[in-house]
Amino acid sequence: MEVIDSYGMMEPRYYLAWATDEAIRARGANGGFVTALLVSALETQFIDLALVVKKKSVYEGVPVLTNDPEQVKESAGSLHGVPWNLAKLLLECAPDKRVGVPTKPCDARGIIELAKRRQIALDNVFLIGLNCGGTVHPLRMRELAAELYGLDPDTVQKEEITAGKLILRYEGEGGATQEKGLKIDELEQEGRGRRDACKSCTTKLPVMADLACGNWGVPKGEQKTFVEVLTDKGAAILENALNKGAITVEDATEQSIAVRAKIERAMQALAARWKDELDVLTDNSPSERLAFYTEQLQRCIHCGACKAVCPVCACDEDAKCLDLHDEQDAYAISLYNLLRILHLMDSCIHCGQCEEVCPVDIPLTLIQRRFSERMQAHLDYEPGMDVTETPPYQETKLRWSADAKTSESEGA
Amino acid sequence: MRTITTNCPGCCIACGLYLLEFSTPELPAGELKLSLAHRKLAPMNEGKLCKFGMHLPAFYAREPLPTLVDGQETTQDEAIREAKARLERLKPDEIAFVAIPSAVTNEELLSFVSGATACGSTNRCFGFEQFLNAIPEDARSALTNGLPFFEIEAASKIVLFLLDPYVHYPLLARRILKARQRGAQVIDIAFAHNRRGIANETVLIDPLDPGSIQKLRDTVANSLIISEVTPYTSLVVISLVLRLAAETASQLFLLKPFANSTGALLLDSSGAEQRRDLFEILDRIENGSIKGLYLLETDLSAVVFHAAAVKQTLSQLDVLIEQNAFRTPQSELAHVTLQSEPFYRKRGTILTIEGRLLELGGESTNGLRILEQLGSNRAFAEVHAEVKHALGLGTAEPTEFEIVAPRVEAVVNVAPLPHREPEKPEALGDEHYVLWYKTNPFFWAGIRDKGFVELSPTALQALGLFVGDALIVGDAAEKTGFKVAAVPEKLIVSEDPLVVHEHVPWRELRESGTVRKVIVKRA
Ligand SMILES: Cc1cc2nc3c(=O)[nH]c(=O)nc-3n(C[C@H](O)[C@H](O)[C@H](O)COP(=O)(O)OP(=O)(O)OC[C@H]3O[C@@H](n4cnc5c(N)ncnc54)[C@H](O)[C@@H]3O)c2cc1C
Ligand code: SF4
Ligand code: SF4
Ligand code: SF4
Ligand code: SF4
Repeated sequence: MEVIDSYGMMEPRYYLAWATDEAIRARGANGGFVTALLVSALETQFIDLALVVKKKSVYEGVPVLTNDPEQVKESAGSLHGVPWNLAKLLLECAPDKRVGVPTKPCDARGIIELAKRRQIALDNVFLIGLNCGGTVHPLRMRELAAELYGLDPDTVQKEEITAGKLILRYEGEGGATQEKGLKIDELEQEGRGRRDACKSCTTKLPVMADLACGNWGVPKGEQKTFVEVLTDKGAAILENALNKGAITVEDATEQSIAVRAKIERAMQALAARWKDELDVLTDNSPSERLAFYTEQLQRCIHCGACKAVCPVCACDEDAKCLDLHDEQDAYAISLYNLLRILHLMDSCIHCGQCEEVCPVDIPLTLIQRRFSERMQAHLDYEPGMDVTETPPYQETKLRWSADAKTSESEGA
Repeated sequence: MRTITTNCPGCCIACGLYLLEFSTPELPAGELKLSLAHRKLAPMNEGKLCKFGMHLPAFYAREPLPTLVDGQETTQDEAIREAKARLERLKPDEIAFVAIPSAVTNEELLSFVSGATACGSTNRCFGFEQFLNAIPEDARSALTNGLPFFEIEAASKIVLFLLDPYVHYPLLARRILKARQRGAQVIDIAFAHNRRGIANETVLIDPLDPGSIQKLRDTVANSLIISEVTPYTSLVVISLVLRLAAETASQLFLLKPFANSTGALLLDSSGAEQRRDLFEILDRIENGSIKGLYLLETDLSAVVFHAAAVKQTLSQLDVLIEQNAFRTPQSELAHVTLQSEPFYRKRGTILTIEGRLLELGGESTNGLRILEQLGSNRAFAEVHAEVKHALGLGTAEPTEFEIVAPRVEAVVNVAPLPHREPEKPEALGDEHYVLWYKTNPFFWAGIRDKGFVELSPTALQALGLFVGDALIVGDAAEKTGFKVAAVPEKLIVSEDPLVVHEHVPWRELRESGTVRKVIVKRA
C-alpha cells in the first residue's frame, strides 16, 4: 500500500466556483461546487466511491458510501449539527478504494494520521476539504431551537451559519418559511452553541486536504464556493469536473482572499481564548490536577468507545491499551486510560469525538489535550497537517532490528 | 453501505445507535460486515453506549437459528403448521408462552398474546409476573412506568437502592452525576461502596438482613428512590421498598433489564389467572403439569443462567417450540424451531423506561407473521394500530422526543401492599460468604464478561490467595478469578452469571434473589 501521496503539494490557487447544474447549486451549502465535483468524478469514474453525509433532518445526517451520483446530489448542503468524524468510517469501509470525501479539517487530519500509519492509501483518497467554524451537538441544537429560538424543533427545516449568526429556517404559521438568527458569540457566552472541541479548535481551514472549500471570502449574496487548490490531486479532480462542464470557475479576487484570511485569523484568536477558558485546570496545583484526573478517570466503565471513534488511533484489537489493561487490576486510573493518554500524546488532534461518546461523561478531550499539546509543542509536530511529516519515533532504530539484520545476513 | 438506525436491546434504556452494513474485500461475495456508529441525536443516550452496546456487532454475529421440525430443515409454513398441530394436542393449561422482552417489539408482544390466547394458554410470561400478581393496582404505576431522565437530572434528592448505575444500567450513571452537579443529594444504599464514586453519602446494609431496610425511613424521606426489578428480584425486597417509598412520600423508579420491559408491562392485557411467573413455569415443567413451551426470542439459559438445570428441565417437555433469530442452548432440545429476524432488522416499536415509543429502523415483520399465523392472522399495520390504541395514542406517529407513557403518580395506600415479614438475619458460618450478583446487560445475555469476582482484603487473607490464583464459589463447576476491592469482609460480588448451586427447585432459586450464601475455596 502506498503511504505517501505521490501527487505533490502545489502553490495554492484560489477560485470562486459553483455547480453548473442549477439544481445542485440551489441545494448546495454555497455554490454546490463540492457536490458537482463528486458527481462528475463518479460519472467519469475518476473515483469509485464518494463518502458523504446525507441529511435526514436538520439534526441528523448519516454517512453514505456510494457510487450513485444521485445519492451524492441528495447529500448537498452543510449540516452544522452533525459532528461525525469520517476517518474511521473510511478506514473501515473503503481503505483501498478510490474515494472522494468532503472533509472538515478534523476528518482530513484523522485520515492523514491513519495514512501515515499505513491504514489508508492516501493516493486513492481525494480530500475535498471544508472550512470549519465548528459543529453543534444535535441535541444541543434541538434545545437551542426550543429554548432560545422559541420554536418547535421539529418545524426547523434548515440551519445556516452566516456572519456569526446561527440562522434557523422554520415553517411558520400558514406554512410560510420564516427565519430567526441569534449571534453565536452570545449563545456561547451562555454555555450553548458549538461543541467545546470546536470552540477551541484552531484549524479552521483544511490546508492539509487536496482542496479547501468554504464561504469565507465569497462576496455577500453570491451563491459560490471559495476554493483553494492545495495539491496536484486537488487540481486533477477539479480539472476533471471542469472538463465535464460540471462546474464554473473564476479567479478569486485579492479582496476575497484577504477577507477569508482575516476571518480565519479572527476565528483562530477566538479559539485560543476558548482554549484558555475551557481549561478548568490551569490554576490548579499538580496534586489538585492529579485528584481531578483520578476522580474523572476512575469512572471509566471500559466500554472501548473512546478508542473505537478516535480518528487517529490506528490500532485494532491487538492494542497495548487493551492488552496490558486488566479489569482485575485495582489501579485508580486504569492502564487502558493511562496508555491511551500516553500513546496519543503525539497524534491527538483534539477533535472531541472521544469525550462525546464517553458514556460516563469523562472530559477526555480536555485531559488528553493537557498532555498532548505540551508534547506536540516540544516535538514541533502537528499531527494530521502534512502527510510527508513522519510521526515522532516512527523511524526510531530499534537495537534488536540491527542485530536481527546482522544475523539474517550471516545466515544467508 | 447501509446505515440502519436502531436501538440496543441490552436494557430498558434502549440506547439509540446506527449499525452500518457493508461488504469488505476479505468477505465472500454477498456477506456483509456489521459495524456500529454512535447516534448522537438519540435522546435517551445522546449517542453514548456502554460496553454491551459497543459489543452489538459481535452479539449479532451469532449463529442464526434454522427452521426445523424434529431436526429436519423445512419451510416456515410447514414448521408453523407443525407447531400449531403439536400445541393443539395439549390441554390449554399444559402450554406455556414465554417471551423475555429484550428483542421483542410491541407488535410482536400483542401477536404473541394473541397466539397464546388462540391456544387458550394460562401460562404467559414476560418476566415480571410475580410482581404484577402481587402488587395492588394503586402501586402498579411504579412497577410498570419509568421516568424520563430529565426528571432524574432535576431531582433534588436521589436514593440509589441496591443499584450501581455504572454496572446495572450504565447510561443512567451520567444522569445521576448531572443531578449531583446541579446540587442534588445522592445517597447510595448498598452492600458495598461504589468504587467509581456516585453518591455524597453511602449507607451500607447487610445483605442477609433485608429487615434493616425498614429502618431507613429518615434517610429516604422525600426522595426519588432508584432501584431495579428483574426476574430475580426478591418479592420481599420489592415489597419493603414499595412500603418505604409510600411511607416516606418518595417516588420510586424501577429500572428493568430488558429493552422492551415497559412495553411488555403496559401492553400485556392478560388477567392474573393467565399470567405465570417464570420460575413457577419451570417448576411446573419439572412436575409434569406443563408439557408444551413456546419460547419467543428468549434464551432461558441466559435469563435464569443455570444452563445445565434449564436443559434438564426443558428436556421433560413434550413440545418445545423456539422462535428466535439466533441459536440458543435450548435449540438442540426444541422440536420445532422458527427463524425470525435479528432485532435490528425488525419493523415495529418498543417502549423505553422513559416512556418513549421508539420505531425500530428495520423492515422485516417475519417474526410477527409467524406469531399471527398462530393467532389472529392480522397484518403489521393492524397490530401497530392496536399498540397505539392500547397506549392511548392517536393516529399520528410519535417521535422519540415525546414521552407517550408518562407515569401517573398515585397516593399509595400502604396497608394493601404485599408485606412478607423478612426472615431474621441469618448467621454466617466461618466458611461462608455472601455472594451478590451485580446484574448487568452481559449477565442477562448469558455472557461472562469479567471472569472474576470482587472480594475484600480480609477474604483474600483468609482464603490464602495470591495473584493469579483462582476461586471456586459454591458448587460452581467453573473457576473464577478475583479482584481485591473495598467490599465488606464477607461479601463476594459477581458481575458474571456464575452458577453456584446444584439444581435446586426453581422457586427456591428465585426466592434467594440476587444474594446467595456460599462457601468459597481457593481452586
Ligand atoms: C460543519 C461544517 C462547518 C462549516 N463551517 C464553515 C465556516 O465556518 N466557514 C466556511 O467558509 N465554510 C464552512 N463550511 C463549509 C461550507 O459550509 C460548505 O460546505 C463549503 O463552502 C462547500 O460548499 P458547497 O456548496 O460547494 O458544498 P455542497 O455541494 O453543499 O457539499 C457539501 C458536502 O459536505 C458534506 N457535509 C455536510 N455536512 C457535513 C458534516 N457535518 N460533516 C462532514 N461532511 C458534511 C455533504 O455530504 C456534502 O457532500 C462548513 C461546513 C461544515 C460541514
Ligand atoms: S474539531 Fe475543528 S475541524 Fe473538527 S468539527 Fe470542530 S471546528 Fe471543525
Ligand atoms: S484522543 Fe479524543 S480528541 Fe484526541 S484525536 Fe482521539 S478522539 Fe480526538
Ligand atoms: S469512552 Fe469513557 S467509559 Fe468508555 S472506555 Fe473510554 S473513558 Fe472509559
Ligand atoms: S445495555 Fe443498556 S445502557 Fe448499555 S448500550 Fe444497551 S441500552 Fe444502553
